Amino acid sequence: MKRSKWRAEEHRAYLTLVLPAILIYWAVMAFPTVFSVALSLTDYNGGRLFSSANPVHFAGLTHYVRMFSDPYFWISLKNNFYIIFVSVFGQIPLGFILAYILFRKLVKMPGFFQTMIYLPSIISTIVVGILWQSFFSPYGPFSEFMQRFKPGWENTLFINPRTAMLPVLFVVLWMYTGTYLIIFLANLQKIEPHIIEAARIDGASEGQVLKYVILPALSGVIVTSAILAISGSLQSFNLIFAMTAGNPARRTSVLSLYMYDNAFRGAPDYPLANAISTFMVVISFALILVTKALEGRFGGRE
Amino acid sequence: MMMGESYSKRRGTGKREISIVSRVLVYTVLIAFTVMTMYPIIWLVLSSFKTTQEFQINRLGLPRYWTLDNYPNAWRIGGFGGLFLNSLFYTGVSTAAIIILSLAASFGFAKLKSRATPFLHGSFVVGILLTLQSIMVPLFLMANATHLYDTRLGVLIPYIGIGLPLGVYLCTEYIKSIPDSVVESARIDGASYLRIFSSIVVPMARPVTTTLAILNVTSIWNEFMLINILVSKNSLKSLPVGILKFSGALSSDYGKQFAALVIGMLPMLIFYLIFRSQITKGVSAGAVKG
Repeated sequence: MKRSKWRAEEHRAYLTLVLPAILIYWAVMAFPTVFSVALSLTDYNGGRLFSSANPVHFAGLTHYVRMFSDPYFWISLKNNFYIIFVSVFGQIPLGFILAYILFRKLVKMPGFFQTMIYLPSIISTIVVGILWQSFFSPYGPFSEFMQRFKPGWENTLFINPRTAMLPVLFVVLWMYTGTYLIIFLANLQKIEPHIIEAARIDGASEGQVLKYVILPALSGVIVTSAILAISGSLQSFNLIFAMTAGNPARRTSVLSLYMYDNAFRGAPDYPLANAISTFMVVISFALILVTKALEGRFGGRE
Repeated sequence: MMMGESYSKRRGTGKREISIVSRVLVYTVLIAFTVMTMYPIIWLVLSSFKTTQEFQINRLGLPRYWTLDNYPNAWRIGGFGGLFLNSLFYTGVSTAAIIILSLAASFGFAKLKSRATPFLHGSFVVGILLTLQSIMVPLFLMANATHLYDTRLGVLIPYIGIGLPLGVYLCTEYIKSIPDSVVESARIDGASYLRIFSSIVVPMARPVTTTLAILNVTSIWNEFMLINILVSKNSLKSLPVGILKFSGALSSDYGKQFAALVIGMLPMLIFYLIFRSQITKGVSAGAVKG
């Protein structure tokens, strides 16, 4: 008798504790994601839903076909790949090397250098974007420096579609390397110090310690970081929005900006925007599967 | 904390001798990074003390005539006073709500028995990898349909919902590590689950609460994409949206633009200087999210 009363209270308490979070999260994230996939398969483009005056028709994969045949989709996807490339082959190796230098105390004042490298990721993205846009613009220091080396040099960085992406990629590297430094440093500090000391006493060189002690201990974190860098790069929006807004002629656009442009700039094209975001969700989930597979192989993220 | 601990373990310096060449190389790399971080910031701060006329002829040097006018002007034109309060409001309320709701749900998932837990908890874990962009259009349509467009509540609800997946994930992991016996003995003493939650679980979860606060304060304070589409009234916008305005229509008024950027940079810098060690810890703990 008492037992069942206990169970009933546990049940009530469970609902009280869990329901508020569930309701808000499902309303704001879970449902909209499903809703977006559903909308991408229809011709709904604004106005009231479920009213007879505004009937919604099933459109199949038409919008996906439109998306894949849009040159701007491919430009955006290509730029996403550039950002992924810089993240995986720039931020992560640099972050690792810097973390290693600080961890092994190869310099004086490691705390100061850590702050200096991490500081850029603390500043609001919007400020970073506008600051660097000014920095690389014709009135910024970059032009001044170049003109001192090469008189008459004309700054066309942001006007020339072929170079406009370079400053963006540089800032991506500048801003996020510190985050990986912090992640790697935190994991390096989990390695037992006397394992390294012992290896050194046994005559292992700095390089051998790195190769046989440190890299194996960090392989899981490196793999997870790479996956996170890829999924973060796929979502990059804020920095580019603030820095170039996709210009010139949408040559610095990325998938999320391409989606935003179709939904909120000019005449809205919600079906296409939803198709793009569905494409992004699919890639995201493919990445989760890859992470899981690699985690199994490399032994977790710790 | 994290850094201090390991540096204090430092022993004699003789042991880790590396060659002069590598030492020079290592210092060159680190000093290069320091210059890359500091130079643009110093340039920005110096430029913010120049008049727009002076900036046009003196772009790199120290101001010949230091002016403070850019700051009050930018503050007034940008309406930063109101935007600043809005940012504080959105960040404070959403962060507090995310922490309370995450802790409550996680206590349920971690310590109470229910067959629904694997599914419900799993739905949050999936949410960690959902992208903000993929819910923008639906959220905009839903805000219009529910008349939450252009309201503070219409900004808060999405902010809270977006912070919950990571919050629930981190809190559940943490509360699982609290021994079951703590909860059981309180039960035997006659405490209700809600009482156990408020007087045992919440105080014990202090470390994970700090991590969540750090992660959410930084991300919500900097957020501008959603608020940009969910709100059109100037009186409801946040600081980043106001700063963005200076890069568009006002971008030729350099002095004010630079002052606006400095104003936008300061709150997070101060936040970082105060909570430096907690932030570095929070970042590595929250690294499950990209």
